[in-house]
Amino acid sequence: MKAKHKFSGWGWKAVGALLLLIIAGCSMTIDNVTQPGSVNGGDILPVTLNVTISINGGQTSNFMVAVLVPKVWNAQKNATITFTSDITSGDQGMTLIPAGSPAPQGGGLDWPTLLAQKIGNGGNLLPDYEWVAFYSNSAYTVADNSTVHATVSIKIKTSPDNLLFKLGYCVANSTDGLSSPDRYGTAFPNSCFQVNGTGDLIDFCNPQLSVVDPRTSMDNDIITLTFDGGVAPTPLDNATSVYLCISGITDAGDSLSVCEQTDRTKMRSLGLNKWQKDIWPRKLFGLPANKHLTGLRYWLTDAAGGGKVGYGGGSAPFTYTFKCQ
Amino acid sequence: MKPSITKLNAQEEELRGSIRPLKRHCLRIKKFILFTIAAVALWACKPERLVAPGEPVKALSGSWQIIKATRNGTDLTNRFDFSKFRIHFTDSSYTIDSLVPFIVAGNGKWAFDDPTYPFQLSFVAADSGKKSAPLLYPVSAGQRNVIMTFSPGCGLNSYQYTLQKAN
Repeated sequence: MKAKHKFSGWGWKAVGALLLLIIAGCSMTIDNVTQPGSVNGGDILPVTLNVTISINGGQTSNFMVAVLVPKVWNAQKNATITFTSDITSGDQGMTLIPAGSPAPQGGGLDWPTLLAQKIGNGGNLLPDYEWVAFYSNSAYTVADNSTVHATVSIKIKTSPDNLLFKLGYCVANSTDGLSSPDRYGTAFPNSCFQVNGTGDLIDFCNPQLSVVDPRTSMDNDIITLTFDGGVAPTPLDNATSVYLCISGITDAGDSLSVCEQTDRTKMRSLGLNKWQKDIWPRKLFGLPANKHLTGLRYWLTDAAGGGKVGYGGGSAPFTYTFKCQ
Repeated sequence: MKPSITKLNAQEEELRGSIRPLKRHCLRIKKFILFTIAAVALWACKPERLVAPGEPVKALSGSWQIIKATRNGTDLTNRFDFSKFRIHFTDSSYTIDSLVPFIVAGNGKWAFDDPTYPFQLSFVAADSGKKSAPLLYPVSAGQRNVIMTFSPGCGLNSYQYTLQKAN
């Protein structure tokens, strides 16, 4: 009787292993990416991915394609993705996976969150990026021990913003998700993609002395100004405290200045010569309800108001434009 | 000679004669008890009218403070001074002290979409139109919390404030 149970246990294990072999049968790679080095602001960015899918065990799944893009492009609305393959005829449509929809084998996380956690940010230095994921409109059954080649066409309408960004791509399927690295493919082209647009350069690629988070905001948001003195030598290298000297430009063209060394301008130290301050512009500049800010100009100073550091470490101010698009 | 019959149990018969009425009496008592039990049992089986417990109407009345604040998922609670902010709710009105970026900037009226199962909290400030925020109403560590999600500035930025009754 005991031996029978033992045999049953092994039998189940064998069945489990067999099932695992059948399920663990799909690997994906992005063989190459074709994308332009730059486009003009507002133009369509065309990207082509050549993908190879190797299947050792039969599977019926939806194809998933995700792109890493700046949030300001609003790619959820402005991107379209289609693909062709050996096993399909004509362009196959894909549809945005709504944020909040759990990814397969993702521990309850949705695709954008799972992609950010597992695949990362592609080396972008500003936090205003996002993964946007699409599923094929149909599920496809692929035969055992076969290889499928797919050509993915991605078209994203860029925003008018002037920016540098490191694009990223991921392909997977609706059964395996990102359960192990061999079940999905990623690609991060080496070059930094450029949009020749208007306004302040939003540089995701190169370390910045100072950045503002979020990149898109209005004067009634809380915005975070960060100064990273480790990026380049500045007069504030040995400062024990750092203060903001800031001007707000109103929609009437006035300049309101707060340039003092008090608690309301004092930045908190993050260590390693990095400093940060969260401000609510409307409160900082004491704006009445009928006035609004269009932008900010700011410098960093030491406790005596000296050692003024601006854009690129020079005397010109760092600038920030309020916008929401 | 006919044998004489000696009544050896004469005393017993006499006794029997005196016990019989008592036995009948006991029988009647038994019947009465059985009848009473049956009557009580039947009465006890009367269908009971069950009233489903009602979900209480959610109340906001009182002063609330911010105990947690996030912007686009980043925790700002200890980075920005929310400590003096208070919102005081009465039956249909609210007032704000020490304003921070919030769904409304002025005092006015408030309402739930459904007082029993609220999912939206709407504000109508005196000088602006109606603004609504998705609402969660959980109990955490024995304290009722109100969690609101809204955008005070750019709609691309999402703020989530957790409010708790101020002492």
